[in-house]
Amino acid sequence: MDHPSRPQTQSTPMISFDETAHTLCIVGESFPENSFTFYAPVLDWLKQYLKNSQALVLDLAITYMNSSSTKCMLDLLDLMEDANARGVKVSIIWRFDRENPRSIELAEEFSEEVTFPFEIVAIS
Amino acid sequence: MDLYSLREQFDASGMMICFNGPFSHSIIEELGTALRNHLADENIGKAAVLDVFATYIELAQNVRNYQTLRSLGQGETAASIITISRWNSGYAVSSGNMVIKEDAASLCERIAELNALAPDELKRRYKEQMRREVPPDALGAGLGLLEIARRSSSPMTCAVRELDGPFTFFSLTAYI
Repeated sequence: MDHPSRPQTQSTPMISFDETAHTLCIVGESFPENSFTFYAPVLDWLKQYLKNSQALVLDLAITYMNSSSTKCMLDLLDLMEDANARGVKVSIIWRFDRENPRSIELAEEFSEEVTFPFEIVAIS
Repeated sequence: MDLYSLREQFDASGMMICFNGPFSHSIIEELGTALRNHLADENIGKAAVLDVFATYIELAQNVRNYQTLRSLGQGETAASIITISRWNSGYAVSSGNMVIKEDAASLCERIAELNALAPDELKRRYKEQMRREVPPDALGAGLGLLEIARRSSSPMTCAVRELDGPFTFFSLTAYI
């Protein structure tokens, strides 16, 4: 299965995958017309990828997400949590905007949902 | 047509942006950009800008998803209003659209219920709803009103205008 790749638009984030670094990047804002259809291919791919791989880093720089995108993000984190329980080395780097307190609050709320390494760093 | 009196009314109520008509996803995007540009000139913090923007997005997408769900996206039921106004030292974001009579009653009940909840309880409910399975054909995650309640500084208000026929006009305002 090809890895997901999407350009950034006004309401959807850029998605890319670096195979050698095992890193899935999601950058931008997320309020698609339909979050479920937007994220479904990413979730399908990640599910397959985590079955056959030893590691995954999720590198996020999302400054705003609408409510249905937060649901999709939680689904993504749940897939990683399951993989973590099977011994796959997973982690998250969540990049936040230091000028916007909402940005770090969002990161902290998601970090409460997982047990694997979750690093929250300011966008420089 | 002389639009001056309409404009005067808008100015008197502190209205900054108003859209009236059937709206699409691209209109939601464009209006969102206009809103942010407008707020950028207001000298308020990034968090406040995001709270107003996020509330606008949830309201607008709620209306659109409702219209799709109830097949109201065509003809006279399609036209909806979104407004962003200055309110006290903050902002009021409103949506108005045609809804099926019975839906208006349950919406008002749900809003009254959310208005009564403390921030910690809203967070708990948000997380609980986020964990709930979404039906395969769902358009949203059932989180929109919770999201708005969490960003609000005062209770949400709603108004129902009774009309002849199966619909009523439903207005919802959130205060940031």
